[in-house]
Amino acid sequence: MQTNQDLSTQFRHGVLPQTTSDEFSRQEFVKSLKFHLASKVSLGNQDAFEARAKPAFTKTTGAEPETYADIRRAMSDDPYYRFWSAMQRNSQEMMWKSVQIPVERQLPELIAKAGEAGGKGTLKLNPELEIPRYHRGVDIHCMPGGYHTEFTADDVANGAVYDSAVYIYAMGRMGPLNSDIGDTTIAWIKENHPDFKPRRILDMGCSVGHSTLSYCDAWPEAEIFAIDVGAPVLRYAHARAESMGKSVHFSQQNAEATDFEDGTFDLIVSHILVHETSNAAMRNIMRECNRLLTPGGLAVHAETPPYRDLPAYDAFMLDWDTRNNNEPYWGASHELVTADIAAECGFDPAKSFEAYQPSAFEATERRTKVFQGGDFGGGGAWWLWGVQK
Amino acid sequence: MAETITLQKKARGERPQYFADPAIDKALSITLALAGEVAVLRDRIDTIERLAEAGQSPTRAAVDAYVPDAAVRAARDAWRDSYLDTVLRIIHQEREELEQRAADTKPYAAVIDEVEAGG
Ligand SMILES: C[S@@+](CC[C@H](N)C(=O)[O-])C[C@H]1O[C@@H](n2cnc3c(N)ncnc32)[C@H](O)[C@@H]1O
Repeated sequence: MQTNQDLSTQFRHGVLPQTTSDEFSRQEFVKSLKFHLASKVSLGNQDAFEARAKPAFTKTTGAEPETYADIRRAMSDDPYYRFWSAMQRNSQEMMWKSVQIPVERQLPELIAKAGEAGGKGTLKLNPELEIPRYHRGVDIHCMPGGYHTEFTADDVANGAVYDSAVYIYAMGRMGPLNSDIGDTTIAWIKENHPDFKPRRILDMGCSVGHSTLSYCDAWPEAEIFAIDVGAPVLRYAHARAESMGKSVHFSQQNAEATDFEDGTFDLIVSHILVHETSNAAMRNIMRECNRLLTPGGLAVHAETPPYRDLPAYDAFMLDWDTRNNNEPYWGASHELVTADIAAECGFDPAKSFEAYQPSAFEATERRTKVFQGGDFGGGGAWWLWGVQK
Repeated sequence: MAETITLQKKARGERPQYFADPAIDKALSITLALAGEVAVLRDRIDTIERLAEAGQSPTRAAVDAYVPDAAVRAARDAWRDSYLDTVLRIIHQEREELEQRAADTKPYAAVIDEVEAGG
């Protein structure tokens, strides 16, 4: 039984997969490789750009690369960039492999534990739910099977895989509970709406509940609901929450069209959901937020910064995932303009907002302070956008 | 354990090809995986040494069950970082060269501006 617990390691709740020392070392290697690439190798791309890709682009086109798309064209064949990209892609695939090994080994036990989870909160699955097209096309961020595939009855595998992998992916910089995005969103809400007391809160695209559980502590009086399309992540989320004594009502639903009644929620949040949907779906989600919110209620979505806020070179690096990490909507979702979406979806655009909030989790020493592909959580801030109804 | 449930190994979606010859993509994947397995072995040796130093016998069960504390994890992080400096030497070499060339592409006037601005 692994019991070591401190702020520099993942919290061992009741359904976290156990690892042998070799399995743990393999995962630690991936974390180190990712950090090495982000902090020591990735920087060389900018030198390759200045030293050779930019002059070559200027020579052939007669103009300097200006936009992030220009920079992508200039860099696409650069040998340093290609080699870094190849290593980055491998680090991602190695990450999934390193967490699949222990999950595969103990899956029957994990399923049994999840089945015994207590009843502070609830879990409602809907086997009839159609998995959206944007999740069936490619497996997002290269997780084999995505959030929804079931490899056996009552499966929790990809919940367990996702939980372990996110800690490695963020290199621990989202805290022992991987909760930084939720904690940061809460901090922003409390700072900007000090008197806000939501009675019912909905977390859309909750996955295994990394962000969801923070809302239980932030507003202990509130009822917390969380939805996702994937059954394995929801079963795992429920078991994880129960093992930590948190009460959440999880249900398998598409955020574009839920079964909640009009005006059910004072607060609707999502954390890194939007970039995994589509242009049509995210608008449906915003219309659904409009329907579900009470007057004065808030919708807040957390993501990485829009490209317009970044220097073109940084936007190019942040855009890496679009083409290299099975994130087809990453690029387009980083071009969204909040006021326009609000207006399109029936909100008052004057009540929309865009904000930056520094990461709630203090992990200053391992942060690169840049937004770049393969360095998730390294920027030290999250971009929040949304609207008040 | 009664049943083994096999998880899907490949993510759906076309895998990008990074090199002209797909065999290079495969060779790089294998090399990085091997680098990982060497690090796993090194941790295992480190565990054996630490158990022995603590007067415990480094049986397979003891090694498999070993959970490094924060100090041991930090030491291993530092080891892996310098290990990767060594394994990825050719990349770091190229990076240094590009850094020098990028600095040389800067106009001399920009260097004056930088110094005057206090940089
Ligand atoms: C990156 S994960 C979310 C992580 C989580 N919110 C957190 O803070 O850690 C995105 C999740 O959104 C879910 N999702 C995607 N589209 C959805 C939709 N239309 N309705 C509900 N959930 C959706 C996916 O199944 C996935 O679990």
